[in-house]
Amino acid sequence: MTSFTINGRTITTDMEDDTPLLWVIRDHIGLTGTKFGCGIGMCGACTVHVGGRATRSCLTPLASVEGAVVTTIEGLDPASNHPLQQAWRDLQVPQCGYCQSGQIMQAAALLQDFPAPSDDEIDAVMTGNLCRCMTYVRIRTAIKQAAAKMETKA
Amino acid sequence: MLKRLLLGIVGVIVLGIIAIAVFAWRPAIAEIAPPAPGGFAPALVAQGEVLASAGYCASCHTAKHGKPFAGGYPMATQFGTIYSTNITPDPQTGIGTWSEPAFRRAMHEGVARNGAHLFPAFPYDHFTKLSDADVAALYAYFMTRAPVRQDASDNTVPFPLNIRALQAGWKFLFFTTGRFRAEPAHSALWNRGAYLAEGLSHCGACHTPRGMLGAEIKERAYKGAPIDGWIAPPLDSTNPSPVPWTQAELVAYLGTGVSRYHGTAVGPMGAVPLGLSRLPASDIAAIAAYFASRNGSASQGAKGDAAIAHALAVDKVGTGLSYDPAARLYASACASCHYNGRQLNPLRPDLALNSAVNLDDPTNLIRVILYGVNAQDGVPGVVMPGFAHGFTDADIARIAAYLRNTRTDKPAWADLEKTVATIRAQGQGQ
Amino acid sequence: MSRLITRSNAANPLSRRGFLVASSAAGVAFGFSRVIAAIDPAVPGSVPAPATGAVFEPTIWFGIDAAGIVTVNIIRAEMGQHVGTALARILADELEADWSKVRIVHVDSDPKWGYMVTGGSWSVWQTFPVFSPAGAAGRIALIEAGAKLIGANPASCTAKGGAVHAGGRSISYGDIAKSGTVARQFTPDELKALPIKPVKERRLIGRETHGLDIDAKTNGTAIYGIDAKIPNMVYARPKLPPTRNGSKVVSIDDAAAKKVKGYLRYLVLDDPSDTVPGWVMVIATSYYAALKAADLLEVTWTAGPGADMTEASLQDHARALVGKADGGVTLDIVNATPAPTSAASTIEQIYTTATVLHFQLEPVNALAFEKDGVFEIHTGNQWQSLILPTLAKALGVPETKVVLRSYLLGGGFGRRLNGDYTIPAALATKALGRPVKMILTREDDARFDSVRSPSVQRLRMQFDGSGQIQAMEHHACAGWPTQVIAGPALLAKTKAGGQYDPFAISGADHWYDVGHQTVRAVANDLANATFRPGWLRSVGPGWTNWALESFIDEAAHHSKTDPVAFRLKLLTGKGRNAGSAPNAVGGALRQAEVVRRVAARAGWSAKLPADTGLGIATSFGQERDMPTWVACAAQVHVDRKTGIVRVEKLTLVVDAGTIVDPDGALAQVQGAALWGLSMALHEGTEFAAGQVKDTNLNTYTPLRIADVPELDIGFVESGNVPVGLGEPATTVVGPAIGNAIYAATGIRLRHIPITPAAVLSALNAS
Ligand code: FES
Ligand code: FES
Repeated sequence: MTSFTINGRTITTDMEDDTPLLWVIRDHIGLTGTKFGCGIGMCGACTVHVGGRATRSCLTPLASVEGAVVTTIEGLDPASNHPLQQAWRDLQVPQCGYCQSGQIMQAAALLQDFPAPSDDEIDAVMTGNLCRCMTYVRIRTAIKQAAAKMETKA
Repeated sequence: MLKRLLLGIVGVIVLGIIAIAVFAWRPAIAEIAPPAPGGFAPALVAQGEVLASAGYCASCHTAKHGKPFAGGYPMATQFGTIYSTNITPDPQTGIGTWSEPAFRRAMHEGVARNGAHLFPAFPYDHFTKLSDADVAALYAYFMTRAPVRQDASDNTVPFPLNIRALQAGWKFLFFTTGRFRAEPAHSALWNRGAYLAEGLSHCGACHTPRGMLGAEIKERAYKGAPIDGWIAPPLDSTNPSPVPWTQAELVAYLGTGVSRYHGTAVGPMGAVPLGLSRLPASDIAAIAAYFASRNGSASQGAKGDAAIAHALAVDKVGTGLSYDPAARLYASACASCHYNGRQLNPLRPDLALNSAVNLDDPTNLIRVILYGVNAQDGVPGVVMPGFAHGFTDADIARIAAYLRNTRTDKPAWADLEKTVATIRAQGQGQ
Repeated sequence: MSRLITRSNAANPLSRRGFLVASSAAGVAFGFSRVIAAIDPAVPGSVPAPATGAVFEPTIWFGIDAAGIVTVNIIRAEMGQHVGTALARILADELEADWSKVRIVHVDSDPKWGYMVTGGSWSVWQTFPVFSPAGAAGRIALIEAGAKLIGANPASCTAKGGAVHAGGRSISYGDIAKSGTVARQFTPDELKALPIKPVKERRLIGRETHGLDIDAKTNGTAIYGIDAKIPNMVYARPKLPPTRNGSKVVSIDDAAAKKVKGYLRYLVLDDPSDTVPGWVMVIATSYYAALKAADLLEVTWTAGPGADMTEASLQDHARALVGKADGGVTLDIVNATPAPTSAASTIEQIYTTATVLHFQLEPVNALAFEKDGVFEIHTGNQWQSLILPTLAKALGVPETKVVLRSYLLGGGFGRRLNGDYTIPAALATKALGRPVKMILTREDDARFDSVRSPSVQRLRMQFDGSGQIQAMEHHACAGWPTQVIAGPALLAKTKAGGQYDPFAISGADHWYDVGHQTVRAVANDLANATFRPGWLRSVGPGWTNWALESFIDEAAHHSKTDPVAFRLKLLTGKGRNAGSAPNAVGGALRQAEVVRRVAARAGWSAKLPADTGLGIATSFGQERDMPTWVACAAQVHVDRKTGIVRVEKLTLVVDAGTIVDPDGALAQVQGAALWGLSMALHEGTEFAAGQVKDTNLNTYTPLRIADVPELDIGFVESGNVPVGLGEPATTVVGPAIGNAIYAATGIRLRHIPITPAAVLSALNAS
């Protein structure tokens, strides 16, 4: 039995300890915003927050999140209106959209640590998130737009 | 002639056995009716709870997914697997019938209520330093837990090592009983730290190398040692971390599970900050003061500043455009969490400074890459994914070599790919 | 792709059916339940909202309900182009709809929609002439009905903002639909004669808009094929055989797999369509159990052809084929000048490209089940009409008993033109009698990919004594996707009866005046036997344009002419390069214009620092019948010590005729250019032992954010026919970089991807 909270809800499951959190989230809990891309921690499509930190759920065994607080794209903001989501919509970042949950979750973690990120910082932290549609130019702009907005609010 | 010689040898052996038996013999202490939980003063129980936490009793006496303190946790030793015992107050399978003197004798002398010698996997060589008052508090705490009926698992220690009486010989060679004695040359804070570190929290159990028969080598105290497939780094001045372990960093590390200059507590160390977290801040400061004085970090401030500046400078290596396959692996798999750039963030463990990258042995780094860090270890609630299912041995060796090469000025690790394979074959452990 | 469409009668819905304009009964929306048949990417969960009240459905392409909601039916796959938005705006513009009330649904594979394929960048180009009159027909019918309802003369009525207006009175489209009184029929001739709005009256086309699929893609509610689910389904992961073709299962041992909690069984697929020979499916109650059990399942096979194939042997074979004068198919090119008998000088070069994976981020997957005798396949797919007959064959049922339900695609790039991945799921559900959800792991996806074939090309040019080009030859050898996957019916034919894959050679038949021109397409039969070559973003021009534009640059230097001036000199727009209506108006002169503009924009003649160079390349897209004019200038710096090529800036200018959705168009060009960069410098794999060597991101290294250079992209304002732009920019970047490296260092690289090692060895050799 493993228990953790996800988007504010407590989950207890008897799935095998080694089940990747990704499949627990997608198949067991039924939240499909978190995506499967590579399964080896190299594309970022499966990024969620665990304890507020961006985490690749495809390589995170269920057992290791015992007692942890997990947030997925569905829970990032109650109204899906995180400044990053606003910027993403505003700049029409997504193409196929498949990588974008992961991009946004990673970017949200980036802004916690680097509230006004430079290009270098964006590159360093976002390189793990592959976008096969190559929406990178817009991702970069959207992160900066959201950062500016959060700055003025703060 | 031969016959006589043989007889003589047998005679000596018999005598020896008798001598050992006499030496080894300990009386049973009479069973008592389990004391009523209400009979213990709540303040005493509360103090016991704090002490039990800082002694990590639960870590060893609770099996995975098991009931707290009900035992059954396997400890792999070079002599076989030893299972921890049930220390809940269940009268049949736990310590419900143990009087306080019986409990105290176990803590101070490593002898069970029935007179059997305990294996030194139970660190009575450290607990012997505990004051009677602290032992009384621990007793109060355990006797007020919910009793759990759970039989002990059978140890796999082979004959003849499993003969309990032989443990007496081990004790004879390696164990001196005795309470902690303060060193007047040092401050009260230092002495408090020493009491906790040497006794209750038994730091040397992992960080001091052990000899052939498994006893800590006193002359090599805190020189670092392998433990459960990990390397417990040296806690003295031979620690290879680029930034010296100052008292302040020790406080941060022991108090939160993470130091911005050294990394997070994982593996067997993972339980330590959590365990210590119940102690008052002054106690953590005391432990930190004790080790800071042992490692001489106070005089090495400049070394640390230079190391930090270097770390921030090399942080950018490999995070921009790169064709180096190792750099691309690092940039894609690691940098999103480990990059710092402008300033160090304790939640972004910096790999140039991290102990695992700087140790002579790559084991800890490989282990963390393979198996990650779970939410209970290190920073509470934060995990690092494990790349065992994602990366090949070659991939992990490539990242490890890359970090060693770009982040430190230390010699390259040899045979990395093989080491990864070996550690992978050992499995994650607990 | 356009050849396919222009050749295929079924592809033009206008020719197949007239428009019936009539109102339908309340509540009956589209003749089927929209809830399962279609997705609306704009709403959470993608389930379209039910219609309100009576629906006015003048054509199969859209309906208007009593609340005035206009629902446009989209047969194209949404894979990042926001295609539904662009297409709906074409229709809504003519309809004079209120855009805020327009919804889109991506429909299932009902035959009534006609031929369904999404690729070749032609969705907008192909749909424009269908949706414009559809919208216009709706508008006219609504005006007539609305006029009657408000008692006005239709001639004095106008339609705007989703309502019919006359003097001070007006009635909304919703109220007209509610009245249920519209009935009007148009013959095909009438439709053709319908007044399409002049460009200046367009209200939606060419204006900025917000993609209807965007929002759901920022909050996790967008539903992709991998998210499809149905009660009682089991999960499947295949165990892939050693070769793509011809493998046979010898024995299976599942003793170890049985220890996995949730493992149910394995299935050896019996596939009458021979799409997945030798496949074994591992069935479990959860996907993770299927993953683990598949790892533990032990299968032995006898391998099919190509089990020992390497990249080198594929390329050596191709090299031999293009080296020979005969073999392959020479395209019909009407040459104004005869082949020269002698030449003052000749240049000839070989260009090669490596195997490339699609690596669309969502691994292929399909959910299949049988319901009321009909097999439903829920997945994202680009070419329903191609895979339906194969599915029918595999399942042994008529095509009418198979339906594909469209989901969003987590990337297409041509991978999902080949619907082969639907077959194993369908076979498994048939065998089990239970819904099966199959997902490939990334490694499986890479091994099962219809990769872009490696290619070898030989180009030759002859000059006369005055430096004039007399003749040019282009011989290209690669695996032929259309031959292998789609079959002979879709191959192109020459007058002499030769059959060739148009997608494998398109791009070679360029718009430069080069005297006597010869283009020859050669199939790499070894490639065709070893794997199933795929269509990958822009297909043939991905390699033909690499060779052509590198070679034109070499020819310019051979002629001691500036590469821009050289190209402009050859792009005269004369003779066969004059262009024709409707799609290619202006011909080569439009290509010359994008070259000129990009040169100016990138600062062509500016002095650059040492080891830095500007290179140019241009393209007309895929096909002469639907040219999209693109030019790119790449500015690169070459590090002589490491061989690292740093692309500092890419400048592109695109003439794609009318731009329907400007921001969407920009996104497509950004993505396409970076794909081109990725294939030029960062990705590429090779065959080893009959399989691609790199199967995941630990060794396959496509472009990431830190690799992105400055991008400057411009469009030529135009009222011409809108043509596709999802692909053409892909093909100009590689040669522009190669040419820039030459400009920076004087070394010429003739293979992509360009690696630092290759740069270093060329530098050392020079
Ligand atoms: S699916 Fe987890 S990083 Fe790619
Ligand atoms: S938007 Fe398609 S992968 Fe990023």
